[in-house]
Amino acid sequence: MNCTLEGHCIKVFGKAIHALSRIGHGLWLDPTVKGLALRSVNSSQSAYVCFSFSPMFFHNYSLASAQASESIKCKLQIKSLLPLFRCLTSIERNVERCQISFSPHKDTVMIQFVCRHGITKTHNIYYQESGALQAVFDSHLCSNVLKGPARLLASMVMHFQRSQEEVTLSITPLRVSLRNYHDGRNDRMKLTYTEMALHPDEFDYFLSGEDSAITFCLKELRAFLSFAEMQCLAVSVQFDAAGKPVCFSVEDTVLEATLVLATLIDSGGPAQPTNTPDPNSPRRTDAAARDQRLSHCAGMKMVASSQGSPTIPSTPLLELHNRKLLRLGNPCATASPASSAICSLLFRGLSSEQEDECVTVLACDSDMEEDKYSARSPEY
Amino acid sequence: MPLLMQSQSDDDQYVLVATLDNARNLSNILKAIAFKDHAIFTATPNGLRVTVEDSKCLQANAFIQAAIFQEFTIKEDLVGLQINLTVLLDCLSIFGGSTVPGTSTALRLCYKGYGHPLTLFLEEGGVVTVCKINTQEPEEPIDFEFCSSNVTNKVILLSESLKEAFSELDMTSEVLQITMSLSQPYFRLSTFGNAGSAHYDYPKDSDMMELFHCTTTQTNKYKMSLLKPSTKALALSSKVSVRTDSRGVLSLQYLVRNDDGQICFVDYYCCPDEEADDE
Repeated sequence: MNCTLEGHCIKVFGKAIHALSRIGHGLWLDPTVKGLALRSVNSSQSAYVCFSFSPMFFHNYSLASAQASESIKCKLQIKSLLPLFRCLTSIERNVERCQISFSPHKDTVMIQFVCRHGITKTHNIYYQESGALQAVFDSHLCSNVLKGPARLLASMVMHFQRSQEEVTLSITPLRVSLRNYHDGRNDRMKLTYTEMALHPDEFDYFLSGEDSAITFCLKELRAFLSFAEMQCLAVSVQFDAAGKPVCFSVEDTVLEATLVLATLIDSGGPAQPTNTPDPNSPRRTDAAARDQRLSHCAGMKMVASSQGSPTIPSTPLLELHNRKLLRLGNPCATASPASSAICSLLFRGLSSEQEDECVTVLACDSDMEEDKYSARSPEY
Repeated sequence: MPLLMQSQSDDDQYVLVATLDNARNLSNILKAIAFKDHAIFTATPNGLRVTVEDSKCLQANAFIQAAIFQEFTIKEDLVGLQINLTVLLDCLSIFGGSTVPGTSTALRLCYKGYGHPLTLFLEEGGVVTVCKINTQEPEEPIDFEFCSSNVTNKVILLSESLKEAFSELDMTSEVLQITMSLSQPYFRLSTFGNAGSAHYDYPKDSDMMELFHCTTTQTNKYKMSLLKPSTKALALSSKVSVRTDSRGVLSLQYLVRNDDGQICFVDYYCCPDEEADDE
């Protein structure tokens, strides 16, 4: 495969590499007639990302004829690639052209930068042959779909602390909410609860087919959104019930990017609605008591959004779920010519301790950066 | 400044007295070679030479000519001493490292000779600090016998073009390979690290290449750990000359302008890496 990038596209490519580096360690390069795909998966296999660049994205894009029918399975270490695209702000100024090429006969991928003043930088990076990586996830069958500018989603997630691992996205026909998720292991005295809710009108497209609340990792989403924001793209979010993966995607005329995240499974199994009472009575009592206190809480104000949608009162927090080890094994054939099945999305095994204490919160979250989306934590 | 003038009556006992209105004109250039603790000071009527060596195969020199100093008095043809460079740099910046425009630390450097400490009088804003740093027996700086007549290849590059390359060098590579050739790539820096190889090519007609003089195609490898410290000197300089001789010994000469725009030089000499011998 041989391709050349010029001008702004070098920066976009570099930005994709940066996003990939925040998700996984390995980078799968997959050149096909449809374009060049960059894929990665995180170490716990709970996040999969794919950046697909069509041939139009490149100044030149060519495959050797033999490669058109079989794809090269080429895996690189992202940490070898990242230093090459280190300084994105100056890369557009300094680099005139970037050429990427590799062939099965050589053991390295060549990345060459033709820079100002006639200087040329050539990097030959070792790759390893590897099985193809592709997650199988039919986003068209999802019952819930949201679409909005990347800026909107970025402004939702920015309210959560950098250390926040997981968030829960809930949808009903009347509202979309995002709140932080805690797994009960940490000292509750030190937690800040943050929730923000949006009216469906905030989104360019809103489809609520099934009320659900899904919990997934924030870190990989932030990495994906930083790419989407830079390109000013609209992000589509497609999901079903808890336990099924959520898919975030962006596209424009020359590129597509997809992020698939595993979500935490519901305690009663995926078929159960999320607000079914839990048979374990101590939890039920506590959850009910908490809900009662919440309903008396007048602290949940919402500032009218810039889009002019009406403010609505918050609903009590849903019960916390038990977590279980989930292995989604769907070894089905894919449309891709050479890939053999991979798709196990499995997330970290966590303990399934019962929630047996009340939550007491010391103080409201007071360190909001903006009042735009008021997301004060509830007072218990 | 007036406070330092008062000690002129003691001058008779000093074999070397050097004064600077701005101590940074000395400390900045010394930082470019401060990769080891100890330095050899050699003062002659021409000025001051400070030498730092590593493993007997790398030598860095900073030259501050007599004309740079406001006063430079030397009573012997050659005054040599060895001193802890880290301590000296700490003393030179004793009033703090921050640059406030309009204020500078004035320096008066005095040495009575063999067996005596190096005395520094530092003054800023009317406050005077006196530092006495113990000196050691000076070792003889290595003579790399690098002479112009033996130079096979020489290039002069604008430092700006090399700075980026040096800051990006793959540190997992044990060597830095320098190629100078009669045809493409002309001037090439190469590394061979864990992830793969990297080559930085500078063509002879590049506007960053001020001079390109190549008599024979040469490729030499130098230990990365020895050359990496030269990045500091590169950062301060505006131009660098890269020369190799028939033995493959590398000479890097950096043209550095100090705060007052005066020119000083820093050079590095490095022996090529002989792989086959020991390993």
